[in-house]
Amino acid sequence: MKRTLSLVLALVMMLGLVFTPSFSVAAEDKPFEGQTLRLAGLDGGYGTDGWKAVIKGFEDMTGATVEATFEKKIYDVIRPEIQAGNAPDIIYNSIGQETGLTETMIKEEMLLDLTDVLDMQVPGEEKAVKDKLIAGFTDTAMTNPYGDGKTYLAPLFYSPTGLFYNKALFGKDGKYELPATMEDFLALGESAKEDGIALFTYPTAGYMDSFIPSLLNEVGGPELYSKLMSYDVDAWKEEVTPMFETLGKILTYIHPSTVANANGDAFTQNQLYIMTNEALFMPNGTWVVDEMSDAKDQAAEGFEWGFMPLPSMEKDGDRYAFTFFEQAFVSKDTEVPELAKTFIAYLYSDEATKAFIENKGGVQPILGAEEFLKDEDQKLFYSIYEDGAKAAMGGFQSVENSVEGVSVTDALYQAVDSVANGELSVEDWQAGVVDAVQQIADANSEGE
Amino acid sequence: MKNSPAKKRFIILGLLPAFALYIIFMIYPTLTVFKESLYKTGGLSGKKTFVGLANFQKLFADPKFIKAFQNTVFLIVIVTIITMFLAVIFAAILTRGKFRGKNFFRIILYIPNILSIAVVASIFSSIYGMDSGLLNGLGRLLKPETWQNIAFTGQSGLVTYSIAFAMIWQAVGYYMVMYMSTMAQIPEHLYEAAKLDGAGRLRQFFSITLPLSWQTVRTTLTFYVISNINISFQLVKALTDGGPNGASMTLLNYQYLEAYNNSNFGYGLAIGVVVFLFSFGLSAIIYQATKRDIIQY
Amino acid sequence: MNEETKLYKIFVYLVLGLVAISILLPVVWVFLASFKENAEFYGNPWAFPQGFYWQNFAEAWTEANMGSYLINSVIVTALAMVFLLVISLPCAYILARMDFPGKRFLQTLMKAGLFINLSYIVIPIFMILLNLNRSLKVTFFLNNRLILALIYAATAVPFTVYLLANYFSAISKSYEEAAYIDGASYFTTMLRVMIPMAKPAVITVILFNFLFFWNEYILSLTLLTDKKLKTLPVGLINLQQASRSAANYGRLYAGLVLVMLPTLLLYILVQKQLTEGMMVGGDKG
Repeated sequence: MKRTLSLVLALVMMLGLVFTPSFSVAAEDKPFEGQTLRLAGLDGGYGTDGWKAVIKGFEDMTGATVEATFEKKIYDVIRPEIQAGNAPDIIYNSIGQETGLTETMIKEEMLLDLTDVLDMQVPGEEKAVKDKLIAGFTDTAMTNPYGDGKTYLAPLFYSPTGLFYNKALFGKDGKYELPATMEDFLALGESAKEDGIALFTYPTAGYMDSFIPSLLNEVGGPELYSKLMSYDVDAWKEEVTPMFETLGKILTYIHPSTVANANGDAFTQNQLYIMTNEALFMPNGTWVVDEMSDAKDQAAEGFEWGFMPLPSMEKDGDRYAFTFFEQAFVSKDTEVPELAKTFIAYLYSDEATKAFIENKGGVQPILGAEEFLKDEDQKLFYSIYEDGAKAAMGGFQSVENSVEGVSVTDALYQAVDSVANGELSVEDWQAGVVDAVQQIADANSEGE
Repeated sequence: MKNSPAKKRFIILGLLPAFALYIIFMIYPTLTVFKESLYKTGGLSGKKTFVGLANFQKLFADPKFIKAFQNTVFLIVIVTIITMFLAVIFAAILTRGKFRGKNFFRIILYIPNILSIAVVASIFSSIYGMDSGLLNGLGRLLKPETWQNIAFTGQSGLVTYSIAFAMIWQAVGYYMVMYMSTMAQIPEHLYEAAKLDGAGRLRQFFSITLPLSWQTVRTTLTFYVISNINISFQLVKALTDGGPNGASMTLLNYQYLEAYNNSNFGYGLAIGVVVFLFSFGLSAIIYQATKRDIIQY
Repeated sequence: MNEETKLYKIFVYLVLGLVAISILLPVVWVFLASFKENAEFYGNPWAFPQGFYWQNFAEAWTEANMGSYLINSVIVTALAMVFLLVISLPCAYILARMDFPGKRFLQTLMKAGLFINLSYIVIPIFMILLNLNRSLKVTFFLNNRLILALIYAATAVPFTVYLLANYFSAISKSYEEAAYIDGASYFTTMLRVMIPMAKPAVITVILFNFLFFWNEYILSLTLLTDKKLKTLPVGLINLQQASRSAANYGRLYAGLVLVMLPTLLLYILVQKQLTEGMMVGGDKG
């Protein structure tokens, strides 16, 4: 049996030799023949089928071998190996995961500079990487963590985030009007309250890391946002006060069960409130539709997912929909830097983009990627920016010196739970953030 | 036979394998960890700065650490007291009383202890749930008009009690079974004599059962401290992950958060050192403080 | 039987009955939940399943690999148990019953181990094994179930020795003396006379450590990275993580049952010896 198989294989290969005119050319084009690339990645919400298809495409094109490991808790699995100086060449594990593996690697300068990848030609295509990438994706602290204009993390899989709601409740079929400003939003909170419906809920406090940045951008635009993300104490003290006040008001209309459900076990209950008309809006990303598809039976009659950017702070002001995206990076100690960079460049090819989308993977941040989308809902979600919503991206700058016991993100996002259940006042919340920012700023200004 | 070569050989060969493995895979790793707690490091690249005891000094000015310490102490105290109280009472009743179904209760009450913490967390997640939780469901059944859902895991004042309750549920049967074995060995004639003296159930319990089981109860105090620290870590991680906003964080949860999530590896390990010293010291103190003359029977 | 005793009995039955229900109900609930279809988890969690949805188990068994993980768990747990008993029994016996210089020190050193927490020594353990691999130019020390079992045994030594030594020290001296007079060696005395007498403590130790080995996942996750070698609790973590990103609760509960069932079975087998003879020793002074 085995022998027949190998015979057939040999025959097929010979036929290929004869009938594929490009074969000899392709062989020369395989500069990485015999080299091995080690990749470790998160088996997360997008699954791993997309990656597997892309890796196969890359191996076929370059002749290299990719040894890939995907795990649900990849950050726990590879941590000891990294600590032992044996990091995988490429790591797909985004900033903001359950443990701060990537953040720590950034802090300890263990990432390879990928700036020149932007100028590289996408393998198998004419264009350079930077000409395919959507503008802005390599300008934030998520990809340029040191704020020095150099790119260390490759942006992957973007998704607009905003407010999700039940379409049936709004517009001509529903009893409410979609609010365009925060004033309308809060007024809606009051009238919904009379109907026994809460204005707002959120899955877990962690989801605030897309909602609050949108709101920060609405308050002061990209300039203020970048000041905030680089620990400008005065900006946190004064200019963002409207953000804290507005969110504080929104949180008075929160569904009373939200905080109790805001953990890994019960967060889907919070998401269900939108489907059962117990709450009107929640911040979330496009993946929620898939995540909740099994809960359809519980949904209110006529339920349909709706999605909009945040209401603007002022009339006719900008409305933001924060863009969430993931990252991959190359470890500094890799023995195959050229191969690793070529692989990163390949991720932006049309071929790879298509392979990701067709295998339930994410949408690559390249121009025109959304045209490969087949699902109508998803197409609609990705068109949010065409309909006038502004995009915002990125998070806090990485700092040289962390301060023990101080976490700005916890003070800003996790504290929302305490504001929501009434245990923390809006003033103290802001003061807590200012204090954390102050300590980080102090630790990183002196010395050097 | 005293100190003969045969005895020496027996002692050395008997102790060697256990101590060798124990020292290589527990003592040595612990010492390396304790050494790291003297550094400021993210723990991944090997880059580190020696800071002496600075990590420890910072700990005691860190409100989150103090909160986690309070939670840990709270859980040890409340869970130990209530569990011990219930376990001793149940054990005394089941051992002394002539009950039908004694074995049934003994077998059933032990079950929570053999469940993995993942199962216990799933169970309590459903018990404490809001709209569909068992407790809130009972509340609605009793007072259909006026019942307000209680956020068992969503309020900082309540969440540690919710964790404590789950831990007591998990532990009572375990200690009860342990105490029953001891109490069963107390000779019957002591009770007969006490009865002749006119001692009631309560008197019998305090003058015979409790004193004669005291050594076992005392030995288990060390267990309470150790298992409490471990189980609360796992349970909190699975049930609330320290939330809301750090209200249910225990020392080990905070260690994990700082060492891994916040890139303060050395600082996290300093918390580990504190946990070690604290639990060791506490057990020693409890052990000394509960010393009574051993009563023979 | 007088009135008072009757009331007392009713009261006791009531209280213990409630406690028993509070235990049985949730455990049965986990079993029932494992038969629910995913959509049912968004309804009332205390409702009965609408049917027996075996698919959950089939998926957990094959897609999530829980079947082969189960075999790995059995191998690692059994090996670890054998290692542990072989090294701990003599150690506990000697520490409890023989006199030699340095005994106090060794006892204290062993007791300190009770307070070491696994959560922070996992990475140093990994480093030791990796360095062994590198210096000996082998791959033997990682991704090896035997090594994981050995380390499980090592980490369980303090607790096991503590329990056993406590029990050994409560046994009367006369048994050994009689054996020595008969001309038995130290080893024979320990093996044939003393260890059989410690049977209740040995059973206790077996169950405690079975639960520890069976449910342990941090070491397993770190030391066995090969997909073919993973153990059941690591598989369960994968199911839990999966249910968070693309909620599949039915499969998760099926996984919980698969992990729980062997412990329940073992418990039912040993419960008589265990619950009647579980001893931490020491009372006879």
